[in-house]
Amino acid sequence: MSGTESVAFDTPRRERRADNFAMWVFIGSEAMLFGAIFLVFLVAHIDFGPAFAAASKHLSLPLGTFNTAVLITSSFTMASAHRLALHRRWRATIWALAATTALGACFLVVKGIEYGKEISEGLAPLLGLPFRYAGPDPVHAEFFFGLYFTMTSLHALHLIGGIVVIAGMIALWRTASPANRLRRVVAVGLYWHFVDIIWVFMFPVLYLINR
Amino acid sequence: MSELRKLTFGYLGLLALLALTVGSSFVDLGGFNVALNLAIAAAKAILIAMLFMHLTGTLPRLAVAAAGLWLIILFGLTLIGR
Repeated sequence: MSGTESVAFDTPRRERRADNFAMWVFIGSEAMLFGAIFLVFLVAHIDFGPAFAAASKHLSLPLGTFNTAVLITSSFTMASAHRLALHRRWRATIWALAATTALGACFLVVKGIEYGKEISEGLAPLLGLPFRYAGPDPVHAEFFFGLYFTMTSLHALHLIGGIVVIAGMIALWRTASPANRLRRVVAVGLYWHFVDIIWVFMFPVLYLINR
Repeated sequence: MSELRKLTFGYLGLLALLALTVGSSFVDLGGFNVALNLAIAAAKAILIAMLFMHLTGTLPRLAVAAAGLWLIILFGLTLIGR
């Protein structure tokens, strides 16, 4: 046996290259989704700059900064998992993957704390919750918080998806051949790093505008 | 283990850029705060893409270039009409 998962490929190397290309195409399509939302935010920011800057000050910069560091660290552990898998150090690979999911979960918990804080302050214009905002231009501040919750929750959904896939990968670890283990680590790693990159742009756009 | 060293340096570089972007937001640079923040975010994205995602080879780069082209059209045509 050549060690490929699909009969379409002669060698694991070819299969890996096809996987890699498909993941990058998928990432490109995801970039379209997030790009459109970023564009909506950009246009609104151009039109309602002062209202957006005032509303942005109500977000927690310490928690946002902490979460950015957590996600960057999770990308580092994911890259480590890739490196360890290349050296076929499987036990260490699993630990690196587990650390990645733990950091992803940590991000979600902190995000949840932030959401809780914003909801209790009446800054969450969703699910029929009351929106109470004392600052200037509450109509456009509400628009800012609507965009904030849309963007961050879409990002959080992507993170949850990544955690579920890594957990599934660990669950199926024993039944996978070494070549398939490596392919899966590489593929999910690309996705994870992409979700990190999205946050790297979301953080300054949402938290740091005209502070 | 020079690969590990490269990853570690990349990681520390990302944290340094994070500190820089948060720190710069406390300094009033006129209209340049937003531009600086976005430039730092782009630098971080390039670091992650090159070091962690191993963005090499023709086909992955083609996919990224295609996505970039469509984003330029999306942003360009929207902003040009304003």
